[in-house]
This record gives sequence, structure tokens and C-alpha cells, in this order.
Amino acid sequence: MIKIIFFFLNLFLYSNVYSESTVKAGGSLIWDSENKSYTATGSVEFSNDTFIAFSEKMIAKYLEQGGKEFFTIVELFENVRIELKEEIFQGDYAIYSRDNNTIRLTGDVSIQSPTRLLTGHELIADIDNNKRILNSANDESLVEVLLENNANN
Amino acid sequence: MSKFLRENVLSILIFLLLSIQAFMYYYDNRPSSKIFSQKRMSVENFSSIILGKSGLTKIESEKLNKIDNDNFFLQGKSYLENDEYKIYGEDISINLNEDISYSEKSVQVINSIGTLDAEGFRNIDSKGKIYFDGIVILKSHD
Repeated sequence: MIKIIFFFLNLFLYSNVYSESTVKAGGSLIWDSENKSYTATGSVEFSNDTFIAFSEKMIAKYLEQGGKEFFTIVELFENVRIELKEEIFQGDYAIYSRDNNTIRLTGDVSIQSPTRLLTGHELIADIDNNKRILNSANDESLVEVLLENNANN
Repeated sequence: MSKFLRENVLSILIFLLLSIQAFMYYYDNRPSSKIFSQKRMSVENFSSIILGKSGLTKIESEKLNKIDNDNFFLQGKSYLENDEYKIYGEDISINLNEDISYSEKSVQVINSIGTLDAEGFRNIDSKGKIYFDGIVILKSHD
């Protein structure tokens, strides 16, 4: 019985590590195996199990584990638009880190949900904890949006 | 004489096997060396391994055309494979001197991150970079 539980647990962990990602590029893509990166340009679209992102340029770094490779850091440049469930993030630059499952956007940033639109110059979206931190143009003002709490209220 | 044979039967057997193997190796390799000594020739349903600056690459093609000592053209459906990738393409040109392969036809690459489809490629093996043109779709593993 314990072996069966471990089998399903391993299956679950394995599927989380190797979740599917897709990159589409309208212009070109460079695979640099020495620097372990992919650089895509021209109407780039990156998607994984959590979100879908659009931009003009993307640099994705990858790591090898267990004979397979997966993206660890994804950088998006110019006209960045990220759709995460019902939210839309926009900015000039974004970086997604797989390790802590966060997205950081900078530039003219906006976060749009069905009920509100907030703007600022930096947005940190913590996907696992469903938390958004928005820094406005004025460095002293900080907006923290807790989506679950807002939904409950 | 028979005593000598009995004492050295194993050595004689090994010597004979090695001789047969050397004979087979010589005749196996002889045709390809003849092909490459000629100019502007072609071979159909070609399969071989080439040693470039980046290591060994297996190549297969419906037709191999030799342009000169450094340049080859893989006509029709063609295939390149090394430790890092498998490239399934069509009409692929190879420059052995510069370690470059390229094609303007649609291509599919399978590597350890997933499967990539593009409308053409330029592979600079010595730099470890492959440039893909047109609409490119890269799908990572499930």
C-alpha cells in the first residue's frame, strides 16, 4: 500500500517538474546550447500550465534534470502582456522565475481584473500565494492586493 | 607439428579472427573512400557519420550530392543527429569546414527540452547555436 502511495506521489511530483510549456515566435528563434537559452523575437507567445504571455522578445533559460530540460527563467521584453486566469498584467519588461513561481513586471505596469484596474511601475505577482504587490510611480506608496480576501469580501 | 598446433590453437584462432576482421574492415571502408575522391558526385539513400569540430554527427538523406571537399547537399528528406539534437529536414546544405548546416525548408528538431518546428534553420555547430526562421513553435515535454 505504501509503495502505491509513493508511486502516485512520485507521479505527481514528476508531472509538476516537467509541466508543458510552449513558445511561439513570429520572427525567429535562436537555440544557444552553450548558454542554455532560447531567444525568440517577433510576436512571441509563451505559455505554461499557469499563464500565457505575449511580448516582442523573449529569452528563456533552461536547466537539465534527469536527462530532460525545462525552463527556469523566462524574460519578456517590449509590450508585455500576461494573462493569468481572469487577470491581465501589462508592462515593458517581465521576468518569470519557476523556482518561486513569481512574475515581476517593470515599466508602465498595469494589473487588470474583472473589477479593477491598477497602474504602477513595478508589479510582483506571487502565483503560489495568490498575492500581488504593486509599486506605484511614487516609491513611497505601495499597493498590496490580496485577491482571495478581496473575493471573499 | 601436431603438438605445436595443440599448444597454440587459441593463439592461431585469435590471429585468424583478427585477420578476418581486418579484411572485412578494409572492404567495408573502401567504397566510401573511392566516392569522396571524386568530384561532384551523388549517392542515393545515404547514411553516414561525420566528424566535425563539435563532435560526431550522423547524417541520412535520400540523396547526397558532393559539391566539393567541404560542401555537401542533402537532397530530399534528410536527417542530422548528434548528442544534443535530431534534425528532420529537407534539402540541407552542409559546410564541413565551417561546421555549418542550413536549410530554407521546413524543419523539425527534437532535443531534450521538446520538439521544435520552424520554416528553416541555420546550425552553427562550433558555436552551439541554431537559428530558426519564420514562424517557430517550441513545445516542451509533457
